[in-house]
Amino acid sequence: MNKHAGLFNKMPISIEQRESRLGWKLIAPSLGVIGLLIIYPILYNIYLSFFDVKLTGEKFFIGLANYEKLLQDTAFYGSVLTTIIFLIGTVVGSTLIGLLVALLMNLQFPFRNVARAIILLPYFAPIISVVFGWQFIFDPVNGIYNHVMVEVLHVTDQRHNLIGDPHTALLVVIIFDIWRHFPISCLLIISKLQSINRDQYEAAAIDGCGPLGRFFHVTLPEIYFVLGTLVILRLIWNINKFEDVFLLAPNVQTLPIFTYYAAFTGIIDQGFAATISVVQFLFLSFLIYFYVKKVLKW
Amino acid sequence: MIGKRSFLQNIFLALAVGSVLFICLFPFIQILSTSLKHQFDWGNPSLIPMKINLEAYRELLGFGKMKDAPIPDTIKRLLDNPLITEKKKDEIISKYRSTGDVFPFPRYFLNTFILSASAASISLILAVFGAYSFSRLRFKGRSTIQRSILFVYMVGGVMLMVPLYQMSVKAGLTKTVWGSLLSLLLIYIIQTLPVSLYMLGNYFRTIPYSLEEAAATDGCSRIEAIFFIILPLSAPMLVTVFVYCFIIAWNEFLFASVFIKQFHDFHTLPLALQSLFVSKNAIWDRIMSASMLTLLPVIFCFMFVMRNLTGGLTAGGVKE
Repeated sequence: MNKHAGLFNKMPISIEQRESRLGWKLIAPSLGVIGLLIIYPILYNIYLSFFDVKLTGEKFFIGLANYEKLLQDTAFYGSVLTTIIFLIGTVVGSTLIGLLVALLMNLQFPFRNVARAIILLPYFAPIISVVFGWQFIFDPVNGIYNHVMVEVLHVTDQRHNLIGDPHTALLVVIIFDIWRHFPISCLLIISKLQSINRDQYEAAAIDGCGPLGRFFHVTLPEIYFVLGTLVILRLIWNINKFEDVFLLAPNVQTLPIFTYYAAFTGIIDQGFAATISVVQFLFLSFLIYFYVKKVLKW
Repeated sequence: MIGKRSFLQNIFLALAVGSVLFICLFPFIQILSTSLKHQFDWGNPSLIPMKINLEAYRELLGFGKMKDAPIPDTIKRLLDNPLITEKKKDEIISKYRSTGDVFPFPRYFLNTFILSASAASISLILAVFGAYSFSRLRFKGRSTIQRSILFVYMVGGVMLMVPLYQMSVKAGLTKTVWGSLLSLLLIYIIQTLPVSLYMLGNYFRTIPYSLEEAAATDGCSRIEAIFFIILPLSAPMLVTVFVYCFIIAWNEFLFASVFIKQFHDFHTLPLALQSLFVSKNAIWDRIMSASMLTLLPVIFCFMFVMRNLTGGLTAGGVKE
């Protein structure tokens, strides 16, 4: 009997089991890396937010002191406000302009594919390069912007340093970010527009709809879902946006930049920076939850 | 009845398309134009340089300026001394070469290239197996894995900045150059891994199962199926994902500035260009030609994978 039992144990495992084992084996390295370097840091960040953390790695438990400090910090509220303005401006701007350009690029005209490729350039070009192009455009001494405003249009009689001035820098950053990100909105909207059946437009036209009517009755309902996705994804990406803001105008303190300054410059307070990240993370998780529930409908 | 346009409408369309393209391209034209201008020409709003200036390019690529520091005769005599090792000689010569003012663009370019290419390769290899696992194999926990990947793919680097830095400090990696570079490499891998998994997973799902079944009846194992069926069929997508990851790493500034700021020889291009810009001897033509040279490989890659990239992005969502 025992001999038989031994034989039974050595029987090949079922196909499902084998597939399951292989599945786990193949995903394991990726899961390991993600677990160690993304999931663990997220938790570790929460842990650090209760400590006074030095750059050298030393830390002292201070309970909720970082949170108290954060809630009393006026600079933090200023940064939240900047972030909100930045988010509203860029999300609305990149989605609307993306939509308009997508409608334009969906019309028939010669070299349309070339044009569609060209408008993607701002999105793919290295941020560090385009930032200097923009810096130069707004440069108070040499820039074309000041030349047009002062010498050609005579809007103002003085040259302004738009990026150097924190009041106007936010506006430049928003325009820059729209310029950089409308292409991707445009691309995703175009791919949806292409899937709309032409018959629907013909039918609407027969029903007496003009171009605007056709847009509101046919196009908009079809791309509604894509627009919603774009808005929420742009919100999520832009909350995390660092390079686009910091490299163009380091004086515009959205939350990521505020955190960066707290963590690595001036009076370094890494525990405090961790606390800001935790708050930001909670807000982000809420957005992701919303995206998953409402947009992906899991 | 739809789709026919009058002459006026055609003109309007051409103007609209033209201005969109102009707005998209203007900063690039500005970069190219300024990189070719002489200093007296910078304030000139015209985009065409009055006189072409290639000095900046020459200097960045190492053709100019290098000969400017002559080695004194006494040192030359010293170099002839057979007792000095080759290494020592190089050290002495390099002291006369590096005038401190030269911006070693090729070196930064190579640093960035090696780092980005390694990160993209490792990320791609991990992602091929991972994506195959959750897109083609059935097992318990598969959908949880898929969801977690989507989740981590939205968590930005900024939120991981402090904990990742503290982890590297604890592991003793920040003390040495190689440790810092290793941290940076690992960070670039995790910044690109979720999106690679996501894009490849979506692509693998479009490959018909019947192909693998046919291979299985011929005695192919699953692993063999990956190598002989899935990979050849997804070659264009693999290139696309690689390039996409490469560009993410090529652009990265935040972590580079945290980890390798003090190691000047190992700066990546974004970090080096930023330091050049804020330094006193920042000169527009140098900055712009450096920008142009940073831009070119990306534009080249972009043209190469354009067709697949747009498909991959629309199918797989976007990551930045």
